[in-house]
Amino acid sequence: MIEAHGISKTYARGVYALRDLSLLVNKGDFVFLTGPSGAGKSTLLRLLLRRDVPSEGQLIVGGRNLADLSPRQVQAYRRSLGFVFQDFKLLPTKTVLENVALVPRVLGMPFVQQQRRTFQVLKWVGLQHRMNAYPLELSGGEQQRVAIARAIVNDPVIILADEPTGNLDPDLSLEIMNLFREVNARGTTVLVATHDRELIRRVGRRAVTLNHGQIVEVA
Amino acid sequence: MRALQYFFREALGSLWRARGAALLAIATIGVGLFVLGFFLLVNTNVQRVVDRWSESAEVSVFLEDAVTAEQLKSIDELVAQSRLAARREYISKQQALERFKADFPDLAPAAASTNRSPLPASFELQLRSDVREASGAVNALVASLSTMAGVADVRYDRQWLERLNAIIRGARIAGAVVVAMLAFAAAMTVANVVRLAATARRDEIEIMQLVGAPFAYVRGPFVAEGILQGGAGAILAIGALAVLFQAGRLRFELTFLSFPILIVLLLGGMAVGCLGGYVVARHVR
Repeated sequence: MIEAHGISKTYARGVYALRDLSLLVNKGDFVFLTGPSGAGKSTLLRLLLRRDVPSEGQLIVGGRNLADLSPRQVQAYRRSLGFVFQDFKLLPTKTVLENVALVPRVLGMPFVQQQRRTFQVLKWVGLQHRMNAYPLELSGGEQQRVAIARAIVNDPVIILADEPTGNLDPDLSLEIMNLFREVNARGTTVLVATHDRELIRRVGRRAVTLNHGQIVEVA
Repeated sequence: MRALQYFFREALGSLWRARGAALLAIATIGVGLFVLGFFLLVNTNVQRVVDRWSESAEVSVFLEDAVTAEQLKSIDELVAQSRLAARREYISKQQALERFKADFPDLAPAAASTNRSPLPASFELQLRSDVREASGAVNALVASLSTMAGVADVRYDRQWLERLNAIIRGARIAGAVVVAMLAFAAAMTVANVVRLAATARRDEIEIMQLVGAPFAYVRGPFVAEGILQGGAGAILAIGALAVLFQAGRLRFELTFLSFPILIVLLLGGMAVGCLGGYVVARHVR
């Protein structure tokens, strides 16, 4: 599913965010990316979201080299992804329902279908009763559940999550991870970047540890 | 259709959030289109007057008192052969005097005090409507008549009408330059307002980009925002022109801009707004 072949990413003044990183993630895997701040976790997710391209090496997803995609192919590729961020990235001027429905709406899904699908995923994350609330009226855990609902509403092939529990307490963090596990159980590949080793231990999945842009441990 | 609804709903929301800046952009477009509309309004009415004058434009061939019947016949034949006159009429000295008395009744006693008419006899030529713009042929006829025996003077009304038309054409070009500059300023103002909106909505744009929304979907609301601002500016301008027209009509006989011109103004405003919106939207990838 995801193949990184010797990828490096350098920024100004030759600073390496990733250095000669190779990684294989199979379809349906659940993988944690961990390591200290600045280890390169977010950079790798950024490359996987195709917000940037590697300076060296190849990053292949679903058989396609991401660096070779045209702008329109990037759009099509991103439609196969779901993303979750630490800061939730919800739109404060839109309701929970509107935030989640934004995805099927911009992808041209018929209105009735988008409403039905949005309601289904909100029910799945247990927030159907808050669908008319605005994000700032919700707790951090609830906001992250909305973000997860938005990430899965389009039935993505891969979910990329960057420190999704960074702002949550341990119990809520585990609750969020359980949602990811459920998504993964349906066959979706999940990649979660976190520096929370305790959480990784409790969830008990494959963890790839990065440091200074390189893989230092796979457990 | 649903996409359009989305574009315009988002655009309206965005305009409402930044209504101060949006009003400034609408006013700028409104001023630009008002100036354009004002030029068109003045042009329409001046042109109407000039056209009316043109329709009555005549060539007057004033004859010497000592003109002979032979010379009269030659002049008449030259006019007939030119095929430029729809009507030609011989006005004798006495007829000229009678007309003068009728046109200027206050001066009639003075004219009556002379034994014989002080006014010259003349030929008055009404030009054919289809040759009014063919001034070359008319000028040639005027030149030929001027050199004929028995002709004292030839007055051609169209010559000053042409000078007037030249002035109007110059004013139109100057007006077009001013309007183009105002349109540019309006487009740039819209672009800045839309850029503000783009900055305010950067989170939404980022999310749309991340979910792989088509470019049209990401850019559409910005273009729609420009179109709405342009349309509102045009309506503002047309409203102001209507008020000005009503005020002017109390003193002058005026006609308002035609419906197609009003539609062009409206579409022009939308096009300027659309351009401003697109300038920003094309940078959103």
